[in-house]
Amino acid sequence: MIDTTKNLKDWFQDQVRGRDDDQLVLSPEFRATQLEALGSNGFPTRKDEEWRYTPLKEVLSRDFGSDETPKIKAAQVDELKQVLPEATHLVFIDGKFSQEYSDSVGSGLAEGLHIHTLESLNPTELSRVEDILANVQFTDDTIFQQMALGFCSSGLYIQVDQNIELKLPLHILHLSSSKESVTFSSGVTVVHQQANSKLTIVQQFASSTKSKATTLPLDAILLDEGAQLDLYKLGLESAETDHISNTSAQVGPSASFRAHQYLLGSHLTRSNLEVKFTGSDAEAILRGIYLGKDDQHLDIRTYLDHAHPDCKSDQHFRGVMNDHSRGVFNGMVLVREHAQRTDAQQSNKNLLLSRAARIDTKPQLEIFADDVKCAHGATIGELDDNAIFYLQSRGISKSDAALMLTRAFAAEITDEIQIESLREHIQVAISEQLSKVTSINV
Amino acid sequence: MLSIKDLHVSVEGKQILNGLNLEVKAGEIHAIMGPNGSGKSTLAHVLSGRDGYQIDSGSATYKDVDLLSLAPEIRAREGLFLAFQYPIEIPGVNNTSFLKKALNEIRKHRGEEELDAIDFLSLIKKQMNLVEMKQDLLRRPVNQGFSGGEKKRNEILQMAVLNPELAILDETDSGLDIDALRIVAGGVNKLRSESNAFVVITHYQRLLDYIVPDFVHVLSNGQIIKSGTKDLALELEERGYDWLLESAGTPA
Repeated sequence: MIDTTKNLKDWFQDQVRGRDDDQLVLSPEFRATQLEALGSNGFPTRKDEEWRYTPLKEVLSRDFGSDETPKIKAAQVDELKQVLPEATHLVFIDGKFSQEYSDSVGSGLAEGLHIHTLESLNPTELSRVEDILANVQFTDDTIFQQMALGFCSSGLYIQVDQNIELKLPLHILHLSSSKESVTFSSGVTVVHQQANSKLTIVQQFASSTKSKATTLPLDAILLDEGAQLDLYKLGLESAETDHISNTSAQVGPSASFRAHQYLLGSHLTRSNLEVKFTGSDAEAILRGIYLGKDDQHLDIRTYLDHAHPDCKSDQHFRGVMNDHSRGVFNGMVLVREHAQRTDAQQSNKNLLLSRAARIDTKPQLEIFADDVKCAHGATIGELDDNAIFYLQSRGISKSDAALMLTRAFAAEITDEIQIESLREHIQVAISEQLSKVTSINV
Repeated sequence: MLSIKDLHVSVEGKQILNGLNLEVKAGEIHAIMGPNGSGKSTLAHVLSGRDGYQIDSGSATYKDVDLLSLAPEIRAREGLFLAFQYPIEIPGVNNTSFLKKALNEIRKHRGEEELDAIDFLSLIKKQMNLVEMKQDLLRRPVNQGFSGGEKKRNEILQMAVLNPELAILDETDSGLDIDALRIVAGGVNKLRSESNAFVVITHYQRLLDYIVPDFVHVLSNGQIIKSGTKDLALELEERGYDWLLESAGTPA
């Protein structure tokens, strides 16, 4: 581990050697502020309350190698696109936007939709993006955000004009290729939706089986009055990857932000999801599943900032832990003094399928307003013996019964997915992951 | 079909079945009656293979096989069915897909071809008429949000679809109003044949007005203390259990 700030910076710069300055897309001034923070922050440790349950030792001790040429098969990309056959496909390979595999970007995709890669922006547009990035703050202010921004070599700027309702979802595919050594990739997505616009984005993180990527995606989202965004995130990378993502949304008056996170992949996944209401009558609906096997660590942190009155937030996350895996849910709801008539609900339910698996759940409510409706609840349980026996008594084997009940537990979240092909894909991925589990204890 | 010999069963060190004997042949309906705590439900649970029961001695043979050595799902695939006294609610598991899976497991075990969705639906629709069940209950999760009567009808529907050789009805009449009772009993009567058998566990004689048994047994303290025909049930209705318990020499 590196403990001095100078070493840390040098160390990290050393890890990403080969990415010289002209490969980086954000302005030198903006990067300088990030790198300055990078130097002073250091990596979080178990002593940081927000990182108490997150083991970073392995992530940080990986040996980064030099850039290799990505090895990707077109057939693999095509197959992944089938998750959403009817969508605008935007493909990143090892953190770099791929024109070859993506639909052509620009303003010609649909009326009122403008998609540009960060690397193609002119200085004026870039400074607008940097304003958004500077404005969308994270409360869990860590080195990983600064890395994502400071070393950003590719990304997207997505704008939707006023009153535009987009029928086709954006399917953003982040694919890590097969590599001999660990590679670092960050993908920055900046979304700005103008008033009363409607958009669905599906971010899918996948990898070749031999990928050893460390992925640090960052999303900054700005929703103007009455705008609606559905943001899906599928974490399906292979077992030798690490994934630390940060998403922050500023939700304007009467706007609606729905985030759906399905975390099944990587050796370590940490997803930080923050929402700040910047006007009244807005809503945030957060849903998620984390499903671990082997020695995976899956970690969700949410932070809901009710800074305005009459907003509604509703969080429901479910965890299923098998084998030696470990899950963490850390959910914070802050209701500020003036945020009267806030309705904030938070639920976290967990299923432990193995004696060696572990869950840490930490629901938190901090309320400074006096007229609010807030509730939170967390449970950790095992499969219901009575239900297993009932299914067995009808001819279904014990292991099939356990599988059915676990799928059903997850289905209460996945059933809410509106896009049929996506729902099926996620449910199949969940079933496949469960069927590989070696040690369901019932 | 079923032969229980001198069966002793205990739960957490407490003896519940105490030398029970019972012979059931194909084509027969047996009623088992008895006061609370006499071991009726324990018998149903032990036969269906529920955990938590210690078999101390004795045997239960089903179709010439040691029933007690089989896993619950194997018993079910071999044609044993238990209608639960308290059917379990299973959130998130669709009633239709659950029953299709169950039927196909049983068919596979018998060496029959699995039914596809279309054939299964036509089968289930036919059997639903038998128990006068509403279609929308098929789309719901198993037993979730069902009324007491709907849950019991769902048990009979499952029985009709799975078509068991030996069905054990554990207090299926408890909590049923008279209309539901008539429907449930009607289902059983339509399913009964020369090749299957029923063991009907009940607290009250009422059900036996609709399902006419060939034999009635009185269970007390884990033993059958008297067996007879349907007239025995009528006598019990009139006189209660006390006179029998006294003459059998067991405390009430």
